[in-house]
Amino acid sequence: MSAVVDTHGHGHEHGHGDQHGGYGGIMRWVTTTNHKDIGTMYLWFSFTMFMVGGVMALVIRAELFSPGLQVVDPDFFNQMTTMHGLIMVFGAIMPAFVGFANWLIPMQIGAPDMAFARMNNWSFWILPFAALLLILSFFTPGGAPGVGWTLYAPLTVQMGIGMDLTIFAVHLLGMSSIMGSINIVTTILNMRAPGMTMLRMPMFCWTWLITAYLLIAVMPVLAGAVTMTLTDRHFGTSFFNAAGGGDPVLYQHIFWFFGHPEVYIIALPAFGVVSQVIPAFSRKPLFGYASMVYATAAIAILSFIVWAHHMYTVGMPLTGQLFFMYATTLIAVPTGVKVFNWVATMWKGSLSFETPMLFAVGFLFLFTLGGFTGLVLSLVPIDIQVHDTYYVVAHFHYVMVAGALFAAFAGVYFWLPKWTGKMYDETLGKWHFWLTMIFFNVTFFVQHFLGLAGMPRRIPDYPLMFETWNKLSSIGAFGFGLSQLLFLYVVLKCIRSGAKAPAKPWEGADSLEWTHLPTPAPYHTFDPQPDLR
Amino acid sequence: MAALSRNAKTALILASIAAAWFVALVLKYWVMGA
Repeated sequence: MSAVVDTHGHGHEHGHGDQHGGYGGIMRWVTTTNHKDIGTMYLWFSFTMFMVGGVMALVIRAELFSPGLQVVDPDFFNQMTTMHGLIMVFGAIMPAFVGFANWLIPMQIGAPDMAFARMNNWSFWILPFAALLLILSFFTPGGAPGVGWTLYAPLTVQMGIGMDLTIFAVHLLGMSSIMGSINIVTTILNMRAPGMTMLRMPMFCWTWLITAYLLIAVMPVLAGAVTMTLTDRHFGTSFFNAAGGGDPVLYQHIFWFFGHPEVYIIALPAFGVVSQVIPAFSRKPLFGYASMVYATAAIAILSFIVWAHHMYTVGMPLTGQLFFMYATTLIAVPTGVKVFNWVATMWKGSLSFETPMLFAVGFLFLFTLGGFTGLVLSLVPIDIQVHDTYYVVAHFHYVMVAGALFAAFAGVYFWLPKWTGKMYDETLGKWHFWLTMIFFNVTFFVQHFLGLAGMPRRIPDYPLMFETWNKLSSIGAFGFGLSQLLFLYVVLKCIRSGAKAPAKPWEGADSLEWTHLPTPAPYHTFDPQPDLR
Repeated sequence: MAALSRNAKTALILASIAAAWFVALVLKYWVMGA
């Protein structure tokens, strides 16, 4: 992904340092304002954090391989679950899709770069420092916070200095997200090529436009919640501390007002990627384009009025439970529209199943399954039974891994030729898909059974009756983790020694980066902008 | 230049929304309590 080629060959003679900012080596990457360079850095950063968070997941699964305490002590186990969640959500999945956005949005709307190129550089370079703070928290007295990725009060008020590092890291991650979102909205609204009307934009751009609005609306809310946590810890306030008259449940309301839209912040760009991949390999236009746009907007709007479905067991009036239950089930309607449209796009299409399409179809099956278990959990009487059990863990991993991660893999395989000018090894790509698909289900499908049988989440030990499914889940997790090393190998092999990619390797791809640009994409593109009228 | 100022205006509006959310949330619970 780092093999961006300047086919114009005009970089240095311009004399204003527009090629690699006039620097070579590491300084090229530190000072770059090029959207492709920054997209590449986001993607590599995301993969690095995916590996770090993955190792934490394997620590968790190693401990849960057998009942009793074998590998880590319970406190460290809690730190692992907390940091695994934070790193995967904020360090791996979100930056992955920001990487796609950086690479693709300017090319798909016919813009020369992002609107604020220097701010774009800053948005990225904040991230490694935030990640460093999260990792450093392990080495502070008391270790990293063991409060869960939701950072619930009042535990957060009682944690050691690692909690402060985490709060600062969340602030930095939020700033990065907001700056990135401002850049994306401004780029899409103001910098489209003549003739690229809003309703001609590829679905990926639409999903990111709506996601960016969501981020601007909810990241400040998370920042407010952790700021209040910080003042509770050090400045004598009692927002969430019951001992001082505060309300811990208030934190949960504020957190989930951020937290549920966050689910769609992760899911919507994944929908966008899949909406590019499925039509390309069906050799048909996306079915129901306009309804896809409206469904995306509807999901985003509804995501603001469902937050308390995460809190049914905390205690709320019956009318509150009914409201949040009905509002949550309503989200199934626009989501169903999307699933229907993807299937209808494939219907009577000239289908082929290269690796990107395999991951997109895998996404379609497994994300829909995660959506169904989400519907189950939206129902108050059922949720009260399975709240905080492994059923919930299984549900959100079907959404986050089989949803977002599968879509990210589909996107990487789909655009690797455009990014590098080389083809990946199709056989190895298919091996990666099938190993990932099998081990994912071995890991997480059985967790539904564990949850329904009553196994709580976030515990290092469990009764003997849960042993068999836990063993299977742990074996699956190690298989899943090892399979991702194959992904790394496929990408590196593609960059180093892949066969030269044709100009348009996917005949059904019809967005601007495929139809108006050579492969690999030149370092500078669409300057001047194309006229699409 | 015109495009830049249009971009700056858009960014300013969006940044103001984000800042207003943050300040309003903290102030609401600071001044008015839960």
